[in-house]
Amino acid sequence: MANQLLEVNGIDVSYGDVQALWDVSIKVEEGTIVALVGANGAGKSTLLKTISGLNYAAKGEIIFSGKPLKNLKPQNIVDRGIMHVPEGRRLFANLTVLENLRLGAYIPRARASFAESLERAFTLFPVLQNRKNQKAGSLSGGEQQMLAIARALMGRPKLLMLDEPSLGLSPIFVRTIFELISTLNEQKATILLVEQNINQALRIAHQAYVLKTGKIVMSGAGSELLENEEVRKAYIGERIRRRQR
Amino acid sequence: MSFRLIVQVLVNGVLFGTTYGIAAVGLSLIFGTMRIIFLAQGAFIIFFAYISYWLLTLLGIDPYLSLLIVIPVSLLLGSAFYYGIFKEAAAIEDKNISLLLAVGLMYLVENIMLVVWSPDPRSVVTPYTTLVFRPWGIVVPFTRLTALFIAILAAVCVFIFLKRTLIGTAVRAASEDMVSTTLMGINPNWVNAVAFAIGIGLAGVAGVTLATIYPFDPSYGFVFAIKALIALALGGIGNVYGALLGGIMLGLIESLGSFYIGGGWADAISYGVFLLVLVFRPQGLFGGSIKKA
Repeated sequence: MANQLLEVNGIDVSYGDVQALWDVSIKVEEGTIVALVGANGAGKSTLLKTISGLNYAAKGEIIFSGKPLKNLKPQNIVDRGIMHVPEGRRLFANLTVLENLRLGAYIPRARASFAESLERAFTLFPVLQNRKNQKAGSLSGGEQQMLAIARALMGRPKLLMLDEPSLGLSPIFVRTIFELISTLNEQKATILLVEQNINQALRIAHQAYVLKTGKIVMSGAGSELLENEEVRKAYIGERIRRRQR
Repeated sequence: MSFRLIVQVLVNGVLFGTTYGIAAVGLSLIFGTMRIIFLAQGAFIIFFAYISYWLLTLLGIDPYLSLLIVIPVSLLLGSAFYYGIFKEAAAIEDKNISLLLAVGLMYLVENIMLVVWSPDPRSVVTPYTTLVFRPWGIVVPFTRLTALFIAILAAVCVFIFLKRTLIGTAVRAASEDMVSTTLMGINPNWVNAVAFAIGIGLAGVAGVTLATIYPFDPSYGFVFAIKALIALALGGIGNVYGALLGGIMLGLIESLGSFYIGGGWADAISYGVFLLVLVFRPQGLFGGSIKKA
């Protein structure tokens, strides 16, 4: 059995009076891609935000690398080795590409290996090297997504959390992003992926969880869920048939 | 009317406007990370004017030399105020609490100054207070010229800090998106404290240079805070570079207004311009677009 990198055990999360997550448990094994899928508002982003410390979990525990993580401050969680690329990328639009990458490597551990990380980022994303002195806001949507992922990688994470990386991108960029996620995983990265593009996400995921109105309703290997009649009907629908033709 | 006279009016405007400008740069930095208008800025400017006055009258320390004491003290005081007063409020989504704290701090400082220094105006008198240069017949008081250089030097130092250092870059990032900044592993308290330190530090610089030029009393702080706020609006709220230009522009507006329309009108004109800018160009005169809710 491989190492358990992240373990979320029975957490409850609320926004004010509205409970968003109910007794949610997931596991992320080291070196795997784990996908969280489900409809809009199912609680996928809420779960990522709770892991990265932006939301407060009233109940349950979160264990990362064998140590409890629940309700630490976001900046301390980054220190522990989790980088979260939030929905909508949230780049610093008025800062240059290079400045964004510098801030990605802000924590001392990452700062020490900045040059090496930067070289790796530019190898993965040559377009960023060409635009390193441009403002991040001037990049195209796909380039911005690349920068957001590159910025997170600069922090040398043990776990990379991506929230809707394909959202709003052209089909070509969507494919590029999914290929990139697979490539990163081949280079030993552990990835927790939230996606609306369920078909693609399940194809690359080793393990997947289906969230529905704040609860985990199904889990299994990505390929298993892809074949599951219920999942296909509820979340993939006609799209998969059309694509397979 | 002579060309020389117009030049004189413009020179006066620039000379005084830069002091508004650095006060506005401080406001802009604090607004950037904290999302509040730090109304106590003006009270601190006058507070440091008094400190400079005390250092001169009690210890015989020259006002310009006193900057060597005032700048480090004000930087420390700024971060201490953040950690002591604003830290908890900064974590709350409702920014009105931080704003009310700033108002409370303003009145506290103002009233302490009233007790300690009385409401009577004080002035810093040095051998060079009345020293005046007359290049091409234009009157340039030495203290105003020095204030200009010190203000520009202070602004340049702040801009270099923001542009060239990692923590400066983090402050700029935080003024764009604080949540995203914490996801980089950056402690929001740290960037807020840095913004406060620089904001109060600039109040220190503005206070000392102001003291060399004008007599001042505790109530002048609020007027100065409003002037800095107008400069901030002219430059675009949240635009640090624009704030400096906004200050210079306000100086010019006041100087031209009191020359052409009459001295009594200077303040009314600047408040009028303030409202006009907010109504018609809320992004400021130099900014691009503004985010609409």
